[in-house]
Amino acid sequence: MDIITGLWNGFAVALAPINLWWCFVGVFLGTIVGIMPGLGPPATIAMLLPLTFQMAPASAMIMLSGIYYGAKYGGSTTSILLNVPGESASVVTCLDGYQMARKGRAGAALGIAAIASFIAGTVGVLGLMLVAPPLAKFALSFSSPEYFALMVLGLAMVVLLAGRSMIKALLAMLVGLWIATMGTDLFSSTSRFTFGNMEMLDGIDFVVVAIGIFALGEVFCNMETRESAQVLPVPKGLRNLLPTMQDLKDCRFAFINGSVVGFITGVLPGAGSTIASFISYGIEKAVSKRRELFGTGVIEGVAAPEGANNSETGGALVPLLTLGIPGSGTTAILLAALVLWGFKPGPLLIQEHPDLFWGLVASMYIGNVMLLVLNLPLVPVFAQLLRLPVHILYPLIFGISIVGVYTVSSSLFDLSMLMAFGLLGYLMRKLDYPAAPMVLGLVLGDAMERALRQSLMMSQGDLTILVARPISAVMLVIAVLVLLVPVFGSLNRLRLQAIESED
Amino acid sequence: MRIATLILAAGIAGVVALPAPVVAQGWKPTRPVEVVVHTGPGGGSDTLARAVASMIEKEKLVPVRLQVVNKTGGNGSVAAAYLAEKKGDVNTIGFFTGVWLTNPLVATEAKVTLRELTTVARLVLEPAVIAVKSDAPFKTMKDFIEAAKKAPGTLKQSGGSITSRDNVVRQLLQKSTGAQWAYISFPGGGERISALLGGHVNMMVIEPQEAGEHIRAGSMRVLAQIASKRLLSFPNVPLLKEAGYDVPVVPQVRGVVAPPGIPKENLDYWEGVFQKFVQTATWKKYLEDNQFEDGYQNGADLLKFVDTFSAQMSEILKDAGVKVVR
Repeated sequence: MDIITGLWNGFAVALAPINLWWCFVGVFLGTIVGIMPGLGPPATIAMLLPLTFQMAPASAMIMLSGIYYGAKYGGSTTSILLNVPGESASVVTCLDGYQMARKGRAGAALGIAAIASFIAGTVGVLGLMLVAPPLAKFALSFSSPEYFALMVLGLAMVVLLAGRSMIKALLAMLVGLWIATMGTDLFSSTSRFTFGNMEMLDGIDFVVVAIGIFALGEVFCNMETRESAQVLPVPKGLRNLLPTMQDLKDCRFAFINGSVVGFITGVLPGAGSTIASFISYGIEKAVSKRRELFGTGVIEGVAAPEGANNSETGGALVPLLTLGIPGSGTTAILLAALVLWGFKPGPLLIQEHPDLFWGLVASMYIGNVMLLVLNLPLVPVFAQLLRLPVHILYPLIFGISIVGVYTVSSSLFDLSMLMAFGLLGYLMRKLDYPAAPMVLGLVLGDAMERALRQSLMMSQGDLTILVARPISAVMLVIAVLVLLVPVFGSLNRLRLQAIESED
Repeated sequence: MRIATLILAAGIAGVVALPAPVVAQGWKPTRPVEVVVHTGPGGGSDTLARAVASMIEKEKLVPVRLQVVNKTGGNGSVAAAYLAEKKGDVNTIGFFTGVWLTNPLVATEAKVTLRELTTVARLVLEPAVIAVKSDAPFKTMKDFIEAAKKAPGTLKQSGGSITSRDNVVRQLLQKSTGAQWAYISFPGGGERISALLGGHVNMMVIEPQEAGEHIRAGSMRVLAQIASKRLLSFPNVPLLKEAGYDVPVVPQVRGVVAPPGIPKENLDYWEGVFQKFVQTATWKKYLEDNQFEDGYQNGADLLKFVDTFSAQMSEILKDAGVKVVR
């Protein structure tokens, strides 16, 4: 009942012409920001913040949030077209998205990314609206042992991301974990693997590694093959550029998976959209009937992580709006914005400012529709990009990678790192080491080490804390099961072989 | 224009004594001034710098635009090194925080301390409060300390890195009382609060503004405040000293520095600007809105503060078992 009146009033706020306008401005800016690698929502929101002081707070919140979730729609564009992950959460999208583009299905990949974003984004708002307060309480019961188990579960996905050789995948993952340890240790303030560089005190930026390995590695590899002049295939006709009915059917589970995983991960202050995208991809692959085709351009491999990335937004707003706790960089800035507008973000925010909360929720339903309408027509436009001849396309990728990294930190050191990781990416391709496990190790390593050490500090060194708590125990069991997937797979193959040989 | 160029040239050449007539005119910036911060857009230092820049522009204290430049990396040392490289540059200033002071103490890679830069003004001292969950058995600071004494190492505090103020407060309290509790680092403020509200840790040092809402909602209780005088929003909460724990008040400090080797006119100009600035009503309201303490000091006093603070920190960190390198 409360929800219906709340939402009714919320739509009254969100449908006011001025708020519709700001919602559009937000999602439009968000789309642009998302497409451009490097410039992320936190920086954009921080820079626009001073301009919002003249606006009504509800309008301002609607616009800034629009940038937040709008950016997630655009994030997949460069991943799919150019293998340049624009932000950490769209790294997974590269795996199958770029392969689809190479097979002439860029349009379908971009289209399904938009559709998955829309569905999961809407589910995320539904979640925010329906279960925010109880879920926020649940999220508080999550502590370091649970986070550790979650990261182990994420890391177990490595068996699903491995290419032909499990050993090579594990090696790549170990390198990722090693890179994650670089920089200043939070617990002791000791420098690790900084090699005397002050730039290394913060460790290596994830985006630098991802863009280097994926985008530059690809460019270097293609520079070598001389039979270049070949243009990537782009089918003619609008109909062939959008996902087919079969595609949508293939993605039915991915939509649900992405929505649920993304939302739950978003609610947890210590997780985030990158982890959400990896986990949903892993789940998608684990349950898929065509598991072996993942990484070669299957459409659900795009839909699941893109969905998760978008529904994470709704989730991340839960602790922000119900408890005043920011779980990510962007929500931290939104929190600062709320303070600047004179609100007191905290447990009483929704109760005392229902208009703000419900207006935002309603605007997010509207904004997601706007984004779908805005993004689907862009698909054929962007797909044309691949018609560019290779001698233009690859320098373009090269340039976008450099600009993307430089806008994050304006640091030449990061650019040299980018080149180094580009070379590493090239070598890994040559020697057939998969890149995804390395990136996975890098994403999870830091958080996993932290969670483990926090847990052990809490228990005064007693390891049983990791399995004595029900949620963490369940997740660790699932992780073990995931690790056993390849074993089952090969057992099954043996069984089939046995049956065949009997025949 | 020409005068500025002349001074610039003199500054680079390291000539301090300039002919008097030029000085009489006073120096004024003629092109946009770069304001260097070590956090990305939206980070604490960036937010303060942008707010101060817009307030200074609104009060027309500086004739040119102040442009915030984000030099992130190295826990602040990239920004500090950037300023150090700009030796003698009159069109650059920077906003420092406590991490510019502590980081060089623990990381050999961070070579630039505030001593290597020109101190201009200290602006802000950020107070903090010590909070527990509202259903915790501790009603006063004494309750907590006594409980920690009874079962050493079992109570837990959530906080930032080991060099952060949160841990420094713990070290000081542990040393003066003999009590002992665990300190668990979390990288983000949200995670620290979640750990307290979820009952996974027993206590935390938190910014007054953040604590305020949780207290109003009945989920947190404040035991003591870390400030030089009682905050307006917590009139009934004792200072640590009043609660019976006479430990040094460790300030969370923010202020302004300039590159090394700038001419005296230039330093005088910036000192003058900030001296006027801290008296404006806009700034006073900003301090109050954010529950900051006015920490104004001029460049010379700030330099003295830097020395005492660094010496004090270095002792505390050594006690905490952190390897101090300078």
